[in-house]
Order: sequence, then C-alpha cells, then structure tokens
Amino acid sequence: MDLESRGIPGGYILTEEFREADLAQARALGFSANKVFVEHPIQDRTDAEMALIAERAFAEVVAMIVTPE
Amino acid sequence: MTEQHDSYLVFLKRDCPTCVLVEPALRELESAGKILQVWSQDDPEFPGSLTAVGDDRELEQSYHWQVETVPTVIRLRGDKEVERTEGWDRAAWLNLFGTQQLAEDLPGFRPGCGSLSVQPGVAEELALRYGTSSLQARRIEIAELEDPLEACYARGWSDGLPVVPPTELRVIRMLAGTHREPAEIVGLIPPDLQPCSIEKIAINAVMAGCKPEYLPVVIAAVEAALIDEFCMHGLLATTWFSSPMIIVNGPITKAIGMNSGGNALGQGNRANATIGRALQLVIRNVGGGKPGGVDRATLGNPGKYTFCFAEDESEQRWQSVAQQRGFESQQSTVTLFAADGVQGIADQKSREPESLCRSLAASLLGVGHRKFAMLSDAFIVLCPEHLRVFTNAGWSKQQVLDRLFELTTRSGAELINGVDGIAEGMPEFVKDMQLAKFKPNGLNIVCAGGTAGLFSAIVPGWLASGDMGSSPVTKEIV
Amino acid sequence: MNQVVLDPTAELNPANRAVLPRLNQLGGKTIGLLDINKPRGDKLLDRLETLLNNEGAQVRRYNKPTMTRVAPLEVKQAIASECDAVIEALAD
Repeated sequence: MDLESRGIPGGYILTEEFREADLAQARALGFSANKVFVEHPIQDRTDAEMALIAERAFAEVVAMIVTPE
Repeated sequence: MTEQHDSYLVFLKRDCPTCVLVEPALRELESAGKILQVWSQDDPEFPGSLTAVGDDRELEQSYHWQVETVPTVIRLRGDKEVERTEGWDRAAWLNLFGTQQLAEDLPGFRPGCGSLSVQPGVAEELALRYGTSSLQARRIEIAELEDPLEACYARGWSDGLPVVPPTELRVIRMLAGTHREPAEIVGLIPPDLQPCSIEKIAINAVMAGCKPEYLPVVIAAVEAALIDEFCMHGLLATTWFSSPMIIVNGPITKAIGMNSGGNALGQGNRANATIGRALQLVIRNVGGGKPGGVDRATLGNPGKYTFCFAEDESEQRWQSVAQQRGFESQQSTVTLFAADGVQGIADQKSREPESLCRSLAASLLGVGHRKFAMLSDAFIVLCPEHLRVFTNAGWSKQQVLDRLFELTTRSGAELINGVDGIAEGMPEFVKDMQLAKFKPNGLNIVCAGGTAGLFSAIVPGWLASGDMGSSPVTKEIV
Repeated sequence: MNQVVLDPTAELNPANRAVLPRLNQLGGKTIGLLDINKPRGDKLLDRLETLLNNEGAQVRRYNKPTMTRVAPLEVKQAIASECDAVIEALAD
C-alpha cells in the first residue's frame, strides 16, 4: 500500500499468523505501517465471531488513524 | 643513516616503464640482503624476479602510504617511515639504501608514473573504503526493496523533483569542491534554527545535482541567506510569494559555466539550476522550512524550486550588481534578493534613454499594487538591447536609477484608500506627500539575457522590504 | 550491502520513515475500508463499518479484486481522493 505517500494516513489489520512475514517485509521496505493483529485462524469463524473480533480490535483500529488532540 | 635492520616498501606497477626499468636494481638490492616488500598495483606476477611481491590491486597499501608516483621506495625503521624517493634517481636510491653502487647499466634518472591510487575518481573511493571518514551525518540505510530515489521522497527530502541520493562517496567528492572543513558550522538555518555544517550543505548540494565546483557558490548563498538583513526566517514564513533569488557575479560564473545569456532566468543550465535548488534544499532539510509547515505562502512562485543566474558583465562601462555593492570585478560574489517572480516589459521602439526610462517606470508602478509606494523593492533584469540604449547615450546605471526614481514618484493623493474606486491604497495621512514608489536603494538593475529581443524583466520583491523585512545581501565566494 | 545515504536534515527526527500525522478525530471524517478479499474479511469490515458510523465517521468500502495482488491504481486513487484515512483488512 502506498496510500501514506498519497497523503492518506492508514493502517491494516492482519492475523497473528502473518506477524513474522510482516516484520520481514517491513525490514525490506524500510518502513513499518501501523497495524493491528487479530487472532488466527479466521476462515472458519461464524459471522458472530467475526463481529466479536472486530469489536475487540476496534479501539486499536481507531488508534491507528486517530491521534486525539 | 641507513642501518642494517631498516626495511623498504616499494610500490610498482607493470604498466609503468620506469618500474620495469628498475627491476634489476631491486634484484641487486635483494641479493645484497636488503629487506624489500614490493607492492604491485596492477599485476601480482610483476616483478617476477623478486621474492616478496604483494598484491595491491585493491590499492589499500598504496592508499595507506599515500603513494602518488610509482616507483616509490619508502625506508622504514620498525613500522615508521624515515624517508622516501619517487621515480628512478640513482643518487637518491644509493642514499636511501646506504649503498655505494647500484645498477650501473641503467641511466641515472627516469621519472616515474602516476600511482593508480591517485587516478581521478579513485582517490575518493579509497578514502571511503580505507580511510577514517570524518563525516558526521547520520547514515541511513536504504532497505533492500526500496528505490533510493523513492526513499528520498519518502523521507521528505525532496522539493517535489527527484533528488540525487547523497551517498557518502558523492558527498566526499562534493566536499573536494571546497577547502573548508566539513565540520565547520556556517550558522543556524531558519525556521528551526538548526546548526548547518559545510557537510550538510554538501549533502544537499549533492541532492540538488550540483558539481563539486559549484559548492563554494552554494556555501556563499547559504551564508548570505543567514545575514540578518536578509530576514530569511520571515521570508520563509510569509504568505507573500517571495523566496531567495541568487545573482552570481565575477570570474566564477564563467569558470563553472553559468548562464547569463539567452534564457538566463529559465531552464537548461546545470549550474544555474542546481545552485539555486541547493539553497532551497538546505532551507527545507536543515532548517525544516516546508510548505504547509512554516512556509505559509498563499501561492508561492516557481522560483522556489530554484532561482539563480549570472550577471552579464560584458559591458565594461556599466557597473555590475557586485561593483555597485562595493566589490571589485575580480571578486566573485552572490547577491540574494527576496524575489517574487518575473514580469516581462516589452519596449521595442524607445531609442532614447528618456523614453525607455518612462517605459520601465510605467511597468514598475505595478509592483505589489499600483497604488502602493515604499513597500516592495524590485530588480530590473535589463536585456542587452535595452542596456545598449543607455550605454550608447553615455548613461550610467546610477543615472538610470535616479531617473526611474523620479518617474515613479507620485502625489499621495492619487494613492490613498478609495481613490479610483479601489478600496486598496495608501493611508489617508500621505495625501499631501510626494511618495516614491521605491525606498532609496530599493530599486536595482542587473544585466542578463540573449542578444535578440527588446524585452527586459521586473523581478518584484517582498512587500516587507528594508528594515521591515528583507534587504538584498551580498557575500563573497571564497 | 544495501545502499547507505547521508542524512541531509538536522536529524531532529528518527532515521526511519515517519508515518503521516493522524486525524485528530473520527467525527465528520470519511474512512475507507479496503477489503482485500480474504475469506471472512468482509464480515470483520461490516462490523467495523457499523462501529465507525457510531462514532460519527462516514465509511466508504473498496475491494481489491484478488488478495494476492497489490491494489490496482484506480482503487488507490479513489481512496486518496475520497477518504481522510484508510483501513485495510484482513491483510497478509
């Protein structure tokens, strides 16, 4: 994602499974974007479980894009 | 005196006829029991008849011992140099080796060749590889998948155009352009008032695309920008258009190939383009002055990328900007002016100074606002064909300036708020005064431009001129 | 060895690339949610959309056609012109 270079602050949500891969990529790119990790796996979750994951992550997700004055 | 336990370093390359010539002499010395360590710069098989030949193709030893010529022979006591000789000179070698007789078949003298370690471009690389770098700037590693150009953008180092990545090698080469110490601090750069070293200027000059020979001009421009009267901090912060314009005078302009002729204010000349840009990058990167930050310009102007040119000093009868400001024609200088941009003046009919002055004056009244007086300063960039109208009639620069001053002096009644149905204007209390458009010394003339075209230019300046803001400043290039 | 450059700045900031300043509030802002098309990711984004709306933010949804490729240029340009901030999920 190059949206930061387009002037749009942002971040991404990814599962714990990809923590290592993400670190390696950040090292190669010389840049670490804001991110929130959620539990893994998710493919077999019910809708209700996915909603719960979203709720638990919400505060962190907001913190990626908002710094209150 | 030579002692028995002294040893000798010998630097050679096969490519040098004198090095080939001295091989029998070295063999003779080795047979006589002298302790020789030979370093070959290009071929470790050479000279084949000697026992201790080291491979110095990487030039580490040559760099370490600061060899400039091959052959070079250095006499060591322990690991300390006692003396050295360059080339083949029998008398010198006899003395160095403390012997009575040596290679009687050889001629008495042959000069050496240049050491590979001092070839153009190689010396800086060796300094980087084997020297202890004195550069103090933080090293930033570009990540594996990053494009160095993009990395410079991503870190906010660019004015919007690509910058040359400032590698240590490029910066070392840039610093060769000045005799000044990299660590020397030239001053505090606004707006963050951060100390600026010669090294930081060199880094930004690399990024701007400068050649090392431009560096003294860039340094002088930075120093000029830091002179109080120039008011760089306020200039940066103003909502007005202005930004530094750099006029370069003196012999350096020809030496580094600056443009004072056709399209002098335009694109295409590396020195003009990159010197002006380097100053802007220093302000941006060292001073932290960026649009959206301290730089509050409403519109800005294209000269904020770069605005730098040389004055055409070919007309001997006419004073240059530098001469007018008290410098000799043999001194090289930069003059900085807080400039907005370029406004053209066409006059293809005036053949007399009076008519041309009236033309110029009419256009000058528009600077800032037609109803303003004593606010902005301005430069006229006078083209060669307009200049000739004055010089042919024997007018000096000062005469022209004096006449323009008179022609742009108006009654305050014409200028006050509301007159002509324009709310903008000068305050009521000036209505009985005669008001000059420009402050004393607020109007200036610089010569430049192509030989065809009766078109000069006005470069208006910041509304806040003189004690209220910025005055032009001049600094000698050293 | 990776290329090394010399810092042209006054070195007041960390050497690493800095992230942009964040928004100072959610209310009244438009937040882009980019679904990279990973199974179940949409459900997570659905819930985030509701939560963001509750905080007074508008949400615009975008899709990356396939999760294995980077977002197409049109999607990036659309996000850059239409949003104040963006969340990508579920990334890998």
